[in-house]
Amino acid sequence: MKKLKVTTGILAIAFVMLTTMSCKDNKKEQTIVEEQQTEVSTNVEETTHDNSDVHHDEEATHDNSDGHHDEEATQDQDSADDTTHARDIKMSTQKNAATTPIIDAYFQIKNALVTDSKENAAKGGTALLAAFSKFDMKTLTGETHKEYMEIAESAKEHAEHIVKSPIDHQREHFEVLSTDINDLIALIGTEKTLYQDFCPMASNGKGAIWLSETSEIKNPYMGSKMPTCGNMQKQIN
Amino acid sequence: MKVAKKVAIILLIAFVGIQFIPTKRNQSDVVPATDIHVIYNVPKQIETIFKTSCYDCHSNNTSYPWYNKIQPVAWLLENHINEGKAELNFNEFGDYSGRRQKSKLKSIASQIRDNEMPLSSYTIIHQDAKLSEKEKELIIQWVEKTIENL
Repeated sequence: MKKLKVTTGILAIAFVMLTTMSCKDNKKEQTIVEEQQTEVSTNVEETTHDNSDVHHDEEATHDNSDGHHDEEATQDQDSADDTTHARDIKMSTQKNAATTPIIDAYFQIKNALVTDSKENAAKGGTALLAAFSKFDMKTLTGETHKEYMEIAESAKEHAEHIVKSPIDHQREHFEVLSTDINDLIALIGTEKTLYQDFCPMASNGKGAIWLSETSEIKNPYMGSKMPTCGNMQKQIN
Repeated sequence: MKVAKKVAIILLIAFVGIQFIPTKRNQSDVVPATDIHVIYNVPKQIETIFKTSCYDCHSNNTSYPWYNKIQPVAWLLENHINEGKAELNFNEFGDYSGRRQKSKLKSIASQIRDNEMPLSSYTIIHQDAKLSEKEKELIIQWVEKTIENL
């Protein structure tokens, strides 16, 4: 009888230890997410006032880096983007149909985020992973191939996170994914007509780009909170 | 009563049994040339924070707690460490492409800002790994400055 108590005691301790180790994560995560959402919305209000300023600055740096790119682009492909600024896509790119499935999957994520749908964004993430794995890179050589690999590796990583994350995380990953897709198009082109848009409030007020298939602004970073925030920076093709 | 005894005995045997299943230990003395503090200028203070609060799961060298060899704890630790290292390995930061280094740095800042990392299940045992508001700010600022200079 005593033995039994001792053994059950030991087992109980073992299992309590086990459960404290494993089960904490999820609960805590949920509450954090909620807190965070309220934080984000207050942040958003604050930044609205600075909107115009931020945007001006962005434009200024953008012009600078453009000049810089033109000089060095042919020599040094690695000196690409800074944080918010992606590689510069020419107004008319090479016509390349191979990138279409990747871009379509990206739009699937984008449109899901516009409508605040975590589930559809996750589906888009899965579609993007599939599109990358089907992409035929045999046509790419040398530097282009190397850079494609880097872009693809990064984009796939973000897609994986979009598949499994809550929506605010999806948006964080979408931000860097947008840079990756943008750079992919700058590198190997597209046959589609696209629009590069800019949201000055994304990325904690630093601003971020996204690509769209329509000229109408539908903001994936803000979703239904501010669906028309942002402006179109350029049309591609 | 008899049934309860039997169940207890079976559980005990299982508990003892799983102790014999080996796990891989995440330990290494080498600081590789690809470590983040080798390739970036990481201030001493931040390097210490990284080592105390992150390296157990995000490097090739874990300082294990005393109960680490007891199953099933050892499995849990192994899983966490493997997942952590797959996501981010400070020791191998230099092996990431420039593009990924930048996006990893960005994620470091946002995970810390959102209180996602260090995991609460980790800090409950490792109280010293908890980040104060000041430490968080320090890391975020350093990360953002580093990204700008990339």
